[in-house]
Amino acid sequence: MFGKMKHYGMVTLINIKLAALMMLEYPANFVGWLLSNPIQFIVGFATIKFVVERFGNINGWDYGELAFLYGISVISHAVSMIFFVQAWFMGSYVIEGDFDMYMIRPMSVLYQFFFTKINIIGITDLIPGICVFVYGCIKTGYSFNISNLIAVLVTVVGAALIRGAIYIIMGTFSFWTRSVNDFAGFTQEFFDKTTMYPINIYPHIMQFILTYIVPIGWVSFYPASSLLSGVNWEVSVTLLIGIFVMILAGLFFKAGLKSYESAGQ
Amino acid sequence: MEAIKVENLVKEYRIAKKDKGLGGAFKNLFVREKVLVRAVNDISFTIPEGEIVAFIGPNGAGKSTTVKMISGILTPTSGRVLVNGMDPQKERIKVVQNLGVVFGQRTQLNWDLRLGESFELMKHIYQIDEEKYQENLKVMDEILGIFSIIDIPVRQLSLGQRMRGDLVAAMLHSPSVLFLDEPTIGLDVDGKYAIRKFIKEINRVKNTTIILTTHDLGDIEELCKRLIIINKGKIIEDGVLEELIDRIAPDKNLVVEYFDEHYVKHDKAEIISRQGNIVTYRFCKDTITGAQLLCDISEQIKVKDATIEEAKIDDIIRIAYSGR
Repeated sequence: MFGKMKHYGMVTLINIKLAALMMLEYPANFVGWLLSNPIQFIVGFATIKFVVERFGNINGWDYGELAFLYGISVISHAVSMIFFVQAWFMGSYVIEGDFDMYMIRPMSVLYQFFFTKINIIGITDLIPGICVFVYGCIKTGYSFNISNLIAVLVTVVGAALIRGAIYIIMGTFSFWTRSVNDFAGFTQEFFDKTTMYPINIYPHIMQFILTYIVPIGWVSFYPASSLLSGVNWEVSVTLLIGIFVMILAGLFFKAGLKSYESAGQ
Repeated sequence: MEAIKVENLVKEYRIAKKDKGLGGAFKNLFVREKVLVRAVNDISFTIPEGEIVAFIGPNGAGKSTTVKMISGILTPTSGRVLVNGMDPQKERIKVVQNLGVVFGQRTQLNWDLRLGESFELMKHIYQIDEEKYQENLKVMDEILGIFSIIDIPVRQLSLGQRMRGDLVAAMLHSPSVLFLDEPTIGLDVDGKYAIRKFIKEINRVKNTTIILTTHDLGDIEELCKRLIIINKGKIIEDGVLEELIDRIAPDKNLVVEYFDEHYVKHDKAEIISRQGNIVTYRFCKDTITGAQLLCDISEQIKVKDATIEEAKIDDIIRIAYSGR
């Protein structure tokens, strides 16, 4: 067990090093994303500001609290982009037979799929996320003590796992449909709409679905509520759900891989 | 001990049949006809440790499908595969730890970075210790001259250099079994020579079991004793190259050049062509030897020159593919 962790840890370090080298190989690419990526979140944030100024608050969430919520949503999005963005392209991997490479190496296929192409560019999403979040903290008077900081970190990890797991599950369908399911735009839109606003603005049935069936409510709404009301231990639910759905996603992927047909017979 | 054992292996695909045109496409939205295709149809063979085997067959014969089932990429529909005594479906990680694979049409190397970075990644993926890693690199350098290209980004390597890089990447962890899927495809004469030398050397020094699929007959002639010919999902020939030639094409040709128009007939040989002074006889080597035939002929008329032509490997393969 320890040996296995050391093995995966070492390979992860090397992969991070290679990702950094790649970024340095194409610096213009990184700068482009660095400039363009924050804009979409600033636009999103401006929308919230507009709505709040019109109505005073959204279902009892004032401007600062919404910034806090949105900040968590964007930060967890950024983390999921760094580690799990490959899942958006799983369909083309299936069609092109690109999983062959990973299956002939002595490590988990899913691990290699994500970690041989760590997306350092995802950091460019992190910057606007942190800005919005810090802004929300200042507005709401959220204090940065150790316990709060740990709770926020736990939330981000859990939320990123939930996002990643949902991407994996959606991508895994490609093994059976054998088509390039381009769900990237759809997913991004869906996650934006469901994680940037408090989900209690939606009808009950929708809230039920977002809580128990597709647990997106646990990405930002529930943990932000807990953090803002000072019940830090509650965010562990987000982490537990994150781990649970990630395990489910892993098993689902494994089942999908059994139907993998490579390319060109 | 056998390195690879394959028993009654079957792989079936379901392929959706598409109807013609827009009307057909619309119909296919609601009614989908699936056709069952047997890409690999009940094949069995064993390969002992240290053997080099060529896996040949026309495009779409099932070679790649078979190799992919052996290396654990595809799940067999039925039948059994054992690599070093282990099932690649059940113990994939253990099996591939001792397996090297090179796909000629695709690379394992990181396109954007210097070649050495890809080797470094392999070193950690396969947990090769530093000493062994350096030693293996040195051996590879002696055969393939890898040190001269190790600092070049993979995207800037020529096809031949990239292929060398891929071979090294597949051999760094000293696997006991090596799969090469069309390793010399698209390479020039020098490139082919280097790759073949490498394959021979690695087999001799490390006793690596090597399976290669190829369309290049030069590869087969130079590297392999044993040949497995597969067509339409079935093994149609499996044996030593020379024996195959003996069995499939036992006839040889004797080409004789006379001094003038006069020539000899022989009751154990058939004349298949005559152009001026040059006469070609076909004989079966079970009934008469080439030397005896030539001796008989030259006893009657003086012969200027003579050569014996054997069936070439491409004839053998063509005959085998056509099902005789």
